[in-house]
Amino acid sequence: MRDADRRTIASPGFGLGLRPVHYPDFLAGPQRVEWLEIISENYMVPGGRPIAMLDRIRADYPIVMHGVSLSIGSDEPLDMRYLADLKALAERVEPLWISDHLCWTGLNAHNTHDLLPLPYDAPALRCVVDNIARVQDYLGRRILIENPSSYVTFRSSDRSEWDFIADMAERADCLLLLDVNNIYVSARNHGFDPVDYLAGLPGHRIQQIHLAGHTDMGAYVIDTHDHDVCDPVWDLYARAVAMFGPVATMIERDDDIPPLADVIAELDRARAVSDAAHREPARV
Amino acid sequence: MSEALRDLQALFLAGVTRGDAGAERLIIDDNRVGAARRLDIYRNNYRASLTGVLADHYERLAAYVGADQFGRLADAFVAANPSAWRNLRYYGGELAAFLAEHYPGDGELAELAALDWALRDAFDAADAEPLDGAAVAALGEQWIERRLVLVPSVHRLTVRHNVAAIWNALEAEEAPPGAARGAVPETILVWRSAQPQFRTLSDDEAAALERLAGGCSFTELSEAMLERLGEEGAMQALGGWLGRWLADGLLVLADQAAAGTDVT
Repeated sequence: MRDADRRTIASPGFGLGLRPVHYPDFLAGPQRVEWLEIISENYMVPGGRPIAMLDRIRADYPIVMHGVSLSIGSDEPLDMRYLADLKALAERVEPLWISDHLCWTGLNAHNTHDLLPLPYDAPALRCVVDNIARVQDYLGRRILIENPSSYVTFRSSDRSEWDFIADMAERADCLLLLDVNNIYVSARNHGFDPVDYLAGLPGHRIQQIHLAGHTDMGAYVIDTHDHDVCDPVWDLYARAVAMFGPVATMIERDDDIPPLADVIAELDRARAVSDAAHREPARV
Repeated sequence: MSEALRDLQALFLAGVTRGDAGAERLIIDDNRVGAARRLDIYRNNYRASLTGVLADHYERLAAYVGADQFGRLADAFVAANPSAWRNLRYYGGELAAFLAEHYPGDGELAELAALDWALRDAFDAADAEPLDGAAVAALGEQWIERRLVLVPSVHRLTVRHNVAAIWNALEAEEAPPGAARGAVPETILVWRSAQPQFRTLSDDEAAALERLAGGCSFTELSEAMLERLGEEGAMQALGGWLGRWLADGLLVLADQAAAGTDVT
């Protein structure tokens, strides 16, 4: 792709999701991690230890903000109080970028705290595109939208998730957070080819990649972030790097969190897979 | 199907949070997993995330009643209390009231829940610059006329049961004492210095801190305590309390606290 088409900033390298259990490691000394991702909501609190730890760790690492409550796909007005808090946190953190998910989390002030799926049709696309535009105007920057894991397909869906995302990104002029594990999970749950998914995405808008583990239930797969990244997801990641070039990549671990050294070792595998795929894309 | 997105979302939400089967007609059925089981994944996620955050917030209550009983309590609470919060951190503050209503004969449950919640709240309450001995010395003699308030992390809980002893035993992973109802209510003070903590107050100290919570100078506080305790008692008590309040970081100048509320 021509550099002129690129919407993203240069990759800052390899990162990790910052989790409280690892605070002492980050305070004790430098770690082999180029940047950290925070869950925005965990720091949208008045003060105390979360804010104190954030300020200290921010002094040593670039940070990106990843939200779970924007609810960009809810067919109702945006929650401006939430957005104001998000903007205040961004002013404090000065993140490299801000992301949330292609999903909705509730309606009528009833929040599920889960990433609920959207129908992939024209009305949902219009809703999401309008909301992203409003959020980007309010925050004064492009945001990244992450592809979700999903377990259902709405009868009203009339296009693929990747077609929906490609249209959304162009029309809203936003960036993408590609969760490779989510593609794998949804591909297993819905029976599509994950390579078709990758091929349908606008690569010049992919700013970040998530890698994570899941729980295989046999007939379906649940996105649990409590296991190591599995081999098929590593293979898919290699494909993505071969297609899109090196992208800022991190491991997302939210449960059964291993010691930091183990997560960094897994991140080293991401470095190696990315290097190999980028050097010899034809072999992937 | 030409269902408005909002109607679809309302139906799906009812399917996830209330278990309404009507949501199944929105999604494609299949032989491998099936619409009901697919929807169940979202139902389970919903319940697990809300009951999970309750278990985090109410760690000592959960230890007191045991995992099975806490799971039943949490399920009942979630069924009756949809989350109105954007941030999951704030879900569950009504659990003490829920327990008081549903378990009136086990009053220690609601009080233990209130103590867990106050400690959780103190954990990430707004920061403050509490007065210490050096700050008071720097203010000079005028300090006794300055209006004081309590730091934002302070909670004062009125309890009738020995929940402080129960909480401390559970914290130490010891068998908690049996629940006992006292003859008169007591006040537990919760606050954060380095970590969230609590202690049980005497009635006199509770009365003094109640005045400070509303804002008053040390002179005004002294006058009120003179009336309550007499001169000798008031002087002795105030001297002891002040040293402890300063050491614990409970007091802040009211004008600084007001300025601080703009910065979160």
